[in-house]
Amino acid sequence: MSREKAYKKLNEVFQDVFDDESITVNDATTADDIEDWDSLEHINLVVAVEKMFGIKFNMGEVNNMKNVGEMMDIILQRIKE
Amino acid sequence: MNRYTYEQLYLGQKEEFYVEVTEEMLQDFRRISGDVNPLHNDEAFARQHHYPQRVVYGMLTASFLSTLAGVYLPGENSLIQSVETKFLKPVYIGDKLIVSGVVAELHDSVQQIILKVSITKPDGQRVLKGVMKLGVLR
Repeated sequence: MSREKAYKKLNEVFQDVFDDESITVNDATTADDIEDWDSLEHINLVVAVEKMFGIKFNMGEVNNMKNVGEMMDIILQRIKE
Repeated sequence: MNRYTYEQLYLGQKEEFYVEVTEEMLQDFRRISGDVNPLHNDEAFARQHHYPQRVVYGMLTASFLSTLAGVYLPGENSLIQSVETKFLKPVYIGDKLIVSGVVAELHDSVQQIILKVSITKPDGQRVLKGVMKLGVLR
C-alpha cells in the first residue's frame, strides 16, 4: 500500500475517532494539532488504527510515537511483514 | 475483590454478581444525584403514567457496572474509560438483578479490554445492555 493511500484510510480513522470530518493529518501532525487528542482518545485512536489496517502496535510504540508520520512508518512496516 | 492482571484476562471470560435493589438505594441515589424526578419518587405519579410503582433510576441500575468492573472484572486494576448503555426495561424496588460482563475484545498495545455487559432479572428479562471500555492498570 502506498503512503498516500494509507493516509486516506488514516484520515478516515481520525475523522471517525474525533468525530470531525474536517480533520486531515500528515507526517507532521501531533496531538497538539487536534484539540481532543488526549491520553484517552489516544487509546481509542490506536485501537481504531489497528482495526482499520489489521495490524498490532506494541506498547513501546504506542507510548513513543512523536507524530503521525512515525505512526504511518509503523503502519506501513507492519503491513509489509 | 478480584485482582486480574491484563495478562490473566482472556476472550470470553465472564464474571457476574447478584444485587437486590432497595428503597434505601433509591434514597441514597436521590441524595447524591439530586434527581428528584417524580417517576422515581412519587407512587401516584408513576401509576398515573402506567407503571405499577416508582421506577428505579436507570443510572442507579447502571451504577452496578462500576462494581462489575472495579470489583469483579478485572477488579482492582480497573480503569473505566467509557460506558455505553441502553435501558431496555424498567426496574422496580425489590427486583433482584444479575449483573454480568464478558470480555469481548483485548487490545494488548494499550492494555484495554472491551466488556459486553448486561443486567437481567432472574426470569431472564434483560433490563440493561451495554459496552464498557476498560483500561487495566499495570
